[in-house]
Amino acid sequence: MTAASFIIKNAFRNKRRAVLTVLGVSVSVFLLVTLLVALREVTIPPEDVGASLRVVVRNKISLGNLLPARQRTIIERIPGVVAVSPFTWFGGKFKNEEGMTFAQFAVDPAKIRVLFAEAKMSDAEYKAFEADRTACIIGKLTAEKYGLKIGDRLMLESTVFPLTLEFKVAGIYEGTTDDRNMLFHHQYLEEAMGGFGLVGMWWVRVRLPEDMPRVVDAINRAFANTSAEVRAETERAFQLNIVSMWANIKILVGSICSVVAFTLLLVTASTMSMTIRERFRELAILKALGYRRHDLFAFILAESFGLAMAGAALGIGAAWVAYMECNAMQVLTGGVFVSFEVTPRIIATAASVAAVLGIVAAIAPGIAVARASVAEGLRTLD
Amino acid sequence: MPLPIKYNLRNVFVRWRATTATVLCIALVVAVYVLVQSLAVGLEKCSQNTGDPRNVLVVRKGATAESSSQVTREQFRALQYMPQIARDEAGRPLVSADVLVMITLPRRDGKSEANVLVRGVSPTGFKLRPQVKLVNGLDSRGSNVVSRWFVPGKREVVVSRRLAARFVNFNIGDVFQTGGHTLKVVGWFDGGNSAFDSEVWMDTEEARALFNRQHYSSLLMRVANPDAARALIARIESDKRWPLRAEPEVEYYSAQTRTALPIRILGDFLATAMSIGAIFAAMNTMYAAVGARTREIGTLRVLGYRRRTILLSFIIEGAILAVIGGILGCLLALPMHGYSTATIGFETFSETVFQFRITPQLALEGMIFAVLVGVAGSFLPAMRAARLPVLAALRSV
Repeated sequence: MTAASFIIKNAFRNKRRAVLTVLGVSVSVFLLVTLLVALREVTIPPEDVGASLRVVVRNKISLGNLLPARQRTIIERIPGVVAVSPFTWFGGKFKNEEGMTFAQFAVDPAKIRVLFAEAKMSDAEYKAFEADRTACIIGKLTAEKYGLKIGDRLMLESTVFPLTLEFKVAGIYEGTTDDRNMLFHHQYLEEAMGGFGLVGMWWVRVRLPEDMPRVVDAINRAFANTSAEVRAETERAFQLNIVSMWANIKILVGSICSVVAFTLLLVTASTMSMTIRERFRELAILKALGYRRHDLFAFILAESFGLAMAGAALGIGAAWVAYMECNAMQVLTGGVFVSFEVTPRIIATAASVAAVLGIVAAIAPGIAVARASVAEGLRTLD
Repeated sequence: MPLPIKYNLRNVFVRWRATTATVLCIALVVAVYVLVQSLAVGLEKCSQNTGDPRNVLVVRKGATAESSSQVTREQFRALQYMPQIARDEAGRPLVSADVLVMITLPRRDGKSEANVLVRGVSPTGFKLRPQVKLVNGLDSRGSNVVSRWFVPGKREVVVSRRLAARFVNFNIGDVFQTGGHTLKVVGWFDGGNSAFDSEVWMDTEEARALFNRQHYSSLLMRVANPDAARALIARIESDKRWPLRAEPEVEYYSAQTRTALPIRILGDFLATAMSIGAIFAAMNTMYAAVGARTREIGTLRVLGYRRRTILLSFIIEGAILAVIGGILGCLLALPMHGYSTATIGFETFSETVFQFRITPQLALEGMIFAVLVGVAGSFLPAMRAARLPVLAALRSV
């Protein structure tokens, strides 16, 4: 009998306990992966391919304050700027739903293709969108959720503007990280509001990534000391600023992660100490046969580590299947989380936490075995 | 005859090495459940604490929050002389025309920023919200300073003391910039754990001028009695000229609980997932307990204790384990009670300050959770104990 088969035989001697331990660890690891993914989603939102070329310009006071439409020509004249489009949050409620389930923005249809080059849509659909003032395009996810097709009409009641508008679906796009938004003509909004001459934000596309810092700086300076000062920043910086508003919720989720990791330790450690206590006499016999302390410790360590890793594999596997294959989180939360991606990094983190805890759990029983004398061990009955 | 509870209690304690881990596991499940739910309770309490039953709030129809609502000056002028509205000693109607503006400000951590809700209030605004009181605050050197209200027509603000702890330049005497304008902090207030704890107050006309607001956001009106409130609401809602919605202030705020919902779901999800893990841990412990006491169980059977008595006894033992864990979990969570924290409010899209609220009901829920885990975890091991063949059990070492 080799050392390896000895360890494996030992680990599964009490099958029920081995299975329960592996299951206990896997539940904790599953939870750990879930929380880490959630934490990543709220701290580092997924980045669009085109984001490195986009600048977001908003009112310096806050997102809730609008910008004058006349700023557009000034931004367009800045060297390095390829396209500028208004981007105004409509905050529309669809049908009789309580809250807003997808975002709608009023934009300049002529610029959308340049601005969001990663969005895939046919030429015909683009043309139809540009041609009709009441047309809109919607992301694939929203279209699927509500069964919307090209040619359908939808009514949206704005929570921001005193308006209810009707739109015609001209196209369905996909290929962005969040295929849920709806885009429509800014001019339609402008006319419905009776020419109010304001926009929510400006989204700007620059020519090259190298132009970014200069363009951002130029836009900020262009409106300094005017009645509507702006804050221009890269799309990434803008996104990170938005998620930083989650504030203490991040700390909360982070601390729950450590609590979950700690329960993992408890499960493994208690199993190992139970196991060792039962086999105390046997271990003493091994000692009497001439096995050294470090041999015994290696047996215990290998068993504990193996159980923890088996649990980790099961937990991570379950998380992978649930979130990557079945998109369980998107379905369960009705689309609050868009990607919920189990990244290799998260898998590595969860696996190493399990590995470390598997090792730590072996320490106390290991010391107990090492300390005990052979005679004492042989005398134990339980 | 049932086995005495003392038998189980002593067993739990005498085998403390095996039971500690399980007790701790259950304690952590309960602590996480109670803490996360206490956040949701805190947020909901915050909304429920806001408003005065004598007030009626008027916003634009279709607006989900005051900050996205508009009430024109014409509407304000027409509405303020409604006969149902109460008046102060000088005979002026008790109506506050408020403006809500969201401004982005840096947090004290020096890294992040967040939106803060600025409320412009009419001079009558304080009388309408008696729960908001000035408190002494700190200046930038950390010494205690007396607060005062802002002077109408001046660029002065009074900030909630809870927000003051979170944002830079919110000490009394400090100035901060927004949209090219400078505002001076002249006082701190306490909103009595209400939604006002997440606000900065200033003069409404000054706020309108500063932030280029043509319209007000909302009107708050004091009515003499509930009948007058009903009449006023019916009058405003029925008038076709006004696309306005009127409702008791208390009702408006108690409906603002969208932020709490995801936290509740998170709490339920965590508790469910963690308790499955804890059930496995409890099963392990209880199986070990049954295994170690095989002979003892045999003896009990010989003495005449029935199978179901043994079954019940082991389930009770699991429940005792869980109750100890549950109590420990509640105790672990308790120090966080009243601790102030914040996140983004889904209605206001700005920093919302609230407190962990560990209510007796939550603690009870936590305990029920724990007992369920204990019973679920000990049922199968207890079945095994009850089914042990007497003779074999007696013979086992």
